[in-house]
Amino acid sequence: MLAIEAKNLRRTYTSRTGFLRPRRTETEAVRGITFEVACGELFGLLGPNGAGKTTTIKMLNTLLLPTSGTARVLGHDVASDPVAVRRRIGYVFGGDRGLYDRLSALDNLRYFAELYGVEPRDQKRRIGELLDLVGLAGREKERVEGYSRGMRQRLHIARGLLHRPDVLFLDEPSIGVDPVAARDLRRTVADLRAGGTTVLLTTHYMAEADELCDRIAVIAGGTIRALGTPDRLKSRVQERGILEIEAYGAGEEHLERIRGVSGVHGAAAEERGSRQAVIVQTERGADLHGQVLAALDGVRVGRVVTREPTLEDAYIAIVEEADALAPTDVPGPTDAPASTDASGSTEVAA
Amino acid sequence: MPTRTPHTDSGSAPGPYRRTVSALRLVVVGGALSYRALFNWTTPPMFIGTLLVGPLLQLLFFVFLGRQLHVADDRFYLLGNAVVSASTACVYGGTMAVANERRYGTLGAVLLSPRNRAPLWFGRAIPYVLNGLVISVFTLSAACLLLGLRIPVEALPGLGAVLLAAAAGCSAFGLALGALGLRFRDVFLVSNVASSVLLLLTGANVPRETLPAWMRALGDVLPLTHAADAARQLSAGGGLDGRGIVAELLTGAGYALLAVVLLALFERGSRRRATLDVM
Repeated sequence: MLAIEAKNLRRTYTSRTGFLRPRRTETEAVRGITFEVACGELFGLLGPNGAGKTTTIKMLNTLLLPTSGTARVLGHDVASDPVAVRRRIGYVFGGDRGLYDRLSALDNLRYFAELYGVEPRDQKRRIGELLDLVGLAGREKERVEGYSRGMRQRLHIARGLLHRPDVLFLDEPSIGVDPVAARDLRRTVADLRAGGTTVLLTTHYMAEADELCDRIAVIAGGTIRALGTPDRLKSRVQERGILEIEAYGAGEEHLERIRGVSGVHGAAAEERGSRQAVIVQTERGADLHGQVLAALDGVRVGRVVTREPTLEDAYIAIVEEADALAPTDVPGPTDAPASTDASGSTEVAA
Repeated sequence: MPTRTPHTDSGSAPGPYRRTVSALRLVVVGGALSYRALFNWTTPPMFIGTLLVGPLLQLLFFVFLGRQLHVADDRFYLLGNAVVSASTACVYGGTMAVANERRYGTLGAVLLSPRNRAPLWFGRAIPYVLNGLVISVFTLSAACLLLGLRIPVEALPGLGAVLLAAAAGCSAFGLALGALGLRFRDVFLVSNVASSVLLLLTGANVPRETLPAWMRALGDVLPLTHAADAARQLSAGGGLDGRGIVAELLTGAGYALLAVVLLALFERGSRRRATLDVM
């Protein structure tokens, strides 16, 4: 049995503005996505903000009804059998909210243990185990309002695991946590997978996805643009070289100029503290240093490095291709050519 | 890839006894924890100031105003205000029990619970019933001491039952208002209006015979109205008005039913309309 099956899932949000002359606006957040996750698999869902990741998770965990399409979790339909789905899943979301600030961590876990039907005789032991697992043992009697973001995040994870879910949804669990806490969190997630829990993870951190995920789907504009193992996604940009330039003050006009250089496949800028990293994807072997630096005329530049492509580069290439198609040419679910790999999972070619 | 055999749904279904115990725990333990988590006035200064001193001052205000205007005697205001004093905890508490989930971003996590909703939500109302009863007893006792009103000792058990029925009905009313918090953000606006409506239409401070017929009819279907009448009758030595208590309990049961229907309706609607946008 598959842990998660999503078939042609769509979700449209309707909002109304204006009181005297109300106007309805429809937004298609998810435009027909199809994927499967096997039991015990750690599946990553990557995509830019607003891509439809959280909407997808909320449909799978029963908080939202799909506008059309179907989804099953461990064989239970998320729309018609939500209670059966809820018994088998855990949901952890990132950020500061989602806990009772006035209660201690222990009381938060006690309350959710009641809500998630943990047997009374097992509660104390289970809560103790989880406090140890997430490193909050000894701090469990403190009110959550005094917790750091990393501690709250760990408490979120403990809450999501209280009832030993078979499928765990982790929605950006490492958002805003420090590197040490993020490393601990990755270790916890890896342990869960090793223990056989199916995990669906969304994250913005490519290194995290690369390290943890068996397979990854890149979602943009509400559709899946690419799906495969991290290595397979990286292979999409193997024919490319990466030029990384330390810069100070590069704007969109500079990036546009770089994109106009013959042999350049894409360019993006990342803020890294006071400096920027301008990442340019070029044809492999092409020496474009001079032309790219010329395009950055007037911008202070530092170190220039040529390196091998990473998952992040593959992700950026996929998302940029999606952006180039948006908004009018975004393919619907039936437009996306699909192929089936040897393991039987569906792979959408981007 | 490591896999574990998912547990089956039919493998270890709990029996009726375990299900009952589990539901009771959700009501009692869950209710107590949610009260501490969600009620804004649990700290001693807030509890004393908002729930004890506030209603007592309101009672004194109406007693002295009544003396000045010669509308009714002290007993009328004292009993009426003792009954209506429970409304602050019950109406706002019931609203907070649902609406504050949005504030903490916990609504999604709560609604992902596979548990039956009736014990989950009613468990939340029970602490407010007790809280309302405590406030009513305190207000009545303090006012009797301050104003020298005597209540026959034999009337006290009946009076306790009336105040309990009033607090229960009012908590169910608060929960029904709180259910609106699953659909609307600014639900405390409704609670503010509801509190004023209770003050005006239940006969706590305004003799109902002076109200227009439509207001009296509205008062008949509000919590506290029948309890206020029954409490006055008891304190005047008129004995326990069984019909009054039954009417109060039926009114409360009606609001409890309304709360369950609204909570179920809005929860289902939230999945369709995505109104739980804040997790």
